[in-house]
Amino acid sequence: MTNLETSLTKHFDKRLVAAFLILSFIGFLDAAYLASAHYAGLSVKCFINGCEAVLTSQYAAIAGIPVALLGAIYYLIIFIFIIAYLDFKKEFFMNFAVRLAIVGFIVSLLLMSIQIFIIKALCLYCFVSFIIFTILFVSGLFILNKNK
Amino acid sequence: MDIQDNLNKLTKKERRAMRKTEKIDEQKQRQRKRLLKRIALWVVVITGIAAAVFIMFKLVDDYSPGQLSDNSISDSDWVKGDRGAKVVLIEYSDFQCPACANYALITKQVVHEFGDKIAFVYRHFPLKQNHLNAESAAWVAEAAGKQNKFWEMHDMLFENQKEWENSGNAEEYFKEYAQALNLNIEQFEKDINSEEVKNKVENDFQSGLRSGINSTPTFFLNGEKLRNPKSYDEFRDIINQALR
Repeated sequence: MTNLETSLTKHFDKRLVAAFLILSFIGFLDAAYLASAHYAGLSVKCFINGCEAVLTSQYAAIAGIPVALLGAIYYLIIFIFIIAYLDFKKEFFMNFAVRLAIVGFIVSLLLMSIQIFIIKALCLYCFVSFIIFTILFVSGLFILNKNK
Repeated sequence: MDIQDNLNKLTKKERRAMRKTEKIDEQKQRQRKRLLKRIALWVVVITGIAAAVFIMFKLVDDYSPGQLSDNSISDSDWVKGDRGAKVVLIEYSDFQCPACANYALITKQVVHEFGDKIAFVYRHFPLKQNHLNAESAAWVAEAAGKQNKFWEMHDMLFENQKEWENSGNAEEYFKEYAQALNLNIEQFEKDINSEEVKNKVENDFQSGLRSGINSTPTFFLNGEKLRNPKSYDEFRDIINQALR
């Protein structure tokens, strides 16, 4: 891994790629935790009030599939694309991961608005996910900008 | 001289050939190394993801075996089925917990199927710090119980959970339910705030704490803590096994 990281191509800032790699994995853990709680039928350990209100609301699932699971898969795809970039050294993979992160940020922003304005409760894990997407979004903009 | 020349030429050729094969070998080795590195990378990634998923499931599934501190049914317990049954299923539940509302549907089916073969006991375990109205809902059910409508109110509270759970004036909803159940409202409102009702709920809660409960719903079958069944069928199998 370290060898691969140090031998990165000059196109992308090493630190930004590392940030993408780490954050997408943390996001995956975050969403996977919620998804497993959903399938185990158990309540999540919540440190602020509101998780249950959000996670049992009608917005917590799309066509029976929990949003948390979709989120976990989404993060995983971003993560795999970055690994693929590190392996194949093809710019395409990184560019795609960045674009996915930008779309993810928009969706996450939408979900946050639903929580605040419609459900009127905040789920900690969803908030963490929003923060992650925000950082990914900003670093994504840097990556695209530098790569012009 | 000619012979010497030829010899020199040969060795030069040979040396060149040798160098060439060495180079190819080196290249091959480098390629093999790179391939190994790539395989290692993907193996690490895939096992990392698998481990992460496994750990997440473990984190969520906080089941730890436990025993009820006191398995006897008390006179103040709410029981469905036969109090003297061989199989006793005790649930510690919270009217405001969404999972409890789901399990209420399952236990209803259990009671319906097994009837007097089992005793099903409902005890209060309101998670006050997370659930704004959980404790008052427990009082409401107890107050309804004073007019012999505990289970009716139990069903009503779970069925309409979404409506009152985060409401600032849940009392209004509770009153509506009481009216729908034809309760004596004056008495009902008096009972909600009575010491007796509050003590009953608190006693249930304390007995839950003594048995090491930290989440709802928690089921005990003949005193043994259950890993929450994931479906009605699983629940039925567990009880059938206990009946055998």
